[in-house]
Amino acid sequence: MLSYRINNFLRHTYACTISNCRSFASTSVETGLEERNPAPYFFNRNVQSYLKRLTTVDYAKIFRTRKDGHRLKAPEYKFLTDEELQEATEAAKRRAHKYLQMPPVVKKRVDPSVLLCEDPALKGHDTAKYVFTDITYDLNDKERPIVVREPEGTLRHATWQERDRIIQIYFPKPAREIEKPKMFEAEYLKDLLDRNEYIFILDRACVQFEPDDPDYQAVTREVYEHINREKHFDILRSTRHFGPMVFHLAWTRNIDNLLCEMIETGRIEHAAILIRLVHLIYPSMKSVIEKCNVRDNVEFIMHYAHLEEKSIVEKLLQSYKELQQVHQIVQEDIKQEQEQEHSIQNLNSETEKVNINQ
Amino acid sequence: MACRMLHICRVVNNSIKNVQSINNETGDELWKGVTSVSNAGRRRGRGRGVAKKRDLNKGQIIGMGKIPIQFPGLNTPVFRGKELVQQQKLSVDPERKQKLIEFRQSQTRPMRVKLSPLERGWTSSKMGGRKIGPPDPIEEDTFEGFETWVLENKMITCMTGNLGRKNRVSSFVVIGNGNGLAGFAISKAPVAKASLKTAKNRAGQRLMYIPRYKEHTVLHDFFTQFGSTKIFVKKMHEGYGLVCHRVIKACCEAIGIKDIYAKVEGAKNVKHTVKAFFIGLLQQKSYQQLAEEKRLHVVEFKAENGNYPVVLASPAQVRKPNEVPSNEPLDFTQYVMGNRVVLKKKKLPPFFTKLPSYKKRLVKLERTRNSDETRIQLLAKYGKLHSFLTEKYPEAQLLCKRKPREDETVE
Repeated sequence: MLSYRINNFLRHTYACTISNCRSFASTSVETGLEERNPAPYFFNRNVQSYLKRLTTVDYAKIFRTRKDGHRLKAPEYKFLTDEELQEATEAAKRRAHKYLQMPPVVKKRVDPSVLLCEDPALKGHDTAKYVFTDITYDLNDKERPIVVREPEGTLRHATWQERDRIIQIYFPKPAREIEKPKMFEAEYLKDLLDRNEYIFILDRACVQFEPDDPDYQAVTREVYEHINREKHFDILRSTRHFGPMVFHLAWTRNIDNLLCEMIETGRIEHAAILIRLVHLIYPSMKSVIEKCNVRDNVEFIMHYAHLEEKSIVEKLLQSYKELQQVHQIVQEDIKQEQEQEHSIQNLNSETEKVNINQ
Repeated sequence: MACRMLHICRVVNNSIKNVQSINNETGDELWKGVTSVSNAGRRRGRGRGVAKKRDLNKGQIIGMGKIPIQFPGLNTPVFRGKELVQQQKLSVDPERKQKLIEFRQSQTRPMRVKLSPLERGWTSSKMGGRKIGPPDPIEEDTFEGFETWVLENKMITCMTGNLGRKNRVSSFVVIGNGNGLAGFAISKAPVAKASLKTAKNRAGQRLMYIPRYKEHTVLHDFFTQFGSTKIFVKKMHEGYGLVCHRVIKACCEAIGIKDIYAKVEGAKNVKHTVKAFFIGLLQQKSYQQLAEEKRLHVVEFKAENGNYPVVLASPAQVRKPNEVPSNEPLDFTQYVMGNRVVLKKKKLPPFFTKLPSYKKRLVKLERTRNSDETRIQLLAKYGKLHSFLTEKYPEAQLLCKRKPREDETVE
């Protein structure tokens, strides 16, 4: 009862200050990589559309068999007309977009350092800390007032770690644990990474942490870097984590491996989009200032590689061009042969006709 | 026994004429006198404890008698190196007789072959459910990868005018390679071994191919009947297992079906069950056939794949929605079951849930309802069953019964 009253009082007095403290998506862009806030870039409409296009939609992968602990059910069968089939497919496609919703990339949160009040008279009132939580049902968890009374008598806002624990106790989210699971510790995480369980780690991280949690960002960062090192981009393609990974690589200007992989697998259009994405994030790059007037994707990538001095990319592009030329020649040859065969067949049939007539 | 033997050999009379007859009787005849019982006697239940014929010279080796002598060419080689071996007396083994008796007594009864639980079949003594290997090869055709399951092996009798009660063994087996090929057959013979063998070989001649869905289950749910044996079969997801009558389970193993639910209603006669099941399997329709019959797409929805529609078969011409009459049953399961609806009985709670003692039990158990999970969590966190207070207060730990040490009990 007492805590409720205190909470009620505190909610009215401090709600404003708290909300001011916890706005993670502030628009001010500072210099320096660590300080810069990625949120406005990530939520930019152009960036979002680029990331979605890079993700690619492979329905076989999106609707893969998921091992999410549910009991399997016997499959259902239906007799459908063309129209009903179309409708069912459309509905599935709409669901696919939900599966591909990207976890946000935002700035790390900072613990509030403001002391609410200091009561020296309360010093030593107890040996334990008192945590006061507003457990009103409808509140946003980011704005829920939670304060801590220290044994020294100071009253302060709870740190983010404390908040996570308390909120999980009062409003438990499914599959989230109060303490950080051991699999996110370095030694276990390394083992998982060696087994290429990227999707599992990232999914669990999404469940366990908030996107502005430093732990979440450390874990995802480690996974993305590992994928970049091992060039296992194809494992994440067509999942919700591909976009954030590309954004992370673009943000840290570490796109060489991804670019090479895209050119090697013949995704020239994707490679061009990736470069445009980097240009959006870093508008002061050489290749942005010296504008490329050609609309061709290959030339555009060449322009980037030339100006940014990426010799590997240039070499790969060269070999890609040669390969394309060889393909073209082969295609033409096949066409010619087919035409020849066709003409020979026509000749034969004509001679047969002549024979019959004779 | 010896007395009986003498009696039969008429030694008791002690006449010279009779003594001569001992030498004239062969060993077999002598044994027959000991081991046989007259038909009249057998009918009265005699001849149960009658001795069986056995080798009386067991354990003896040629040339090794009471006095061991070395006979070159009989129990030793003639030449040892370049030397000619001489006949020679060896030292007498005083324990020889004792050893011989022990050896003969140790192996009187034939050893019973103990089968492992996996090979044993459905019960401990009968043949049902046991596997007996592939059928015999016919010239070049070897039945590689085939296995035989005995479904029924029983004594059957009939009365004949000539012989009276005549016993035979009837064997019913199913064979299969676990990859779609299977067959079953019945055979009768006076002896179990012969009947099983003929049944197995006959089944090898009656193989049929059963189509399966992704090599793990049936194509669709179906109903099948033979006589008054009715079977409702349900197609199941991977990893479900064989939940059905043991006879159907053996058939499924032979065919290579891994996941199925089947309910047998009516008579559970083995032969009827197998026949009904195989008829049902053979009457399954392929998805293409179903699509052509209905002139609609057959589409699969799997919950684990996010219910993404997968078209299994499409007809040459699909009906328009206005061509489908409103009263036409479109439910897939209903259609393939021949418009039969399976009665799903509601499962009633067990009787004890109404008892007051059950409520008491629930109250008592409430305290420990999460103990399993907590136990695992604590073990994961601390490696031991203790709480966060233990670091401060060592006495806050779980009391476990300590086993008394050996030296303590001695004192």
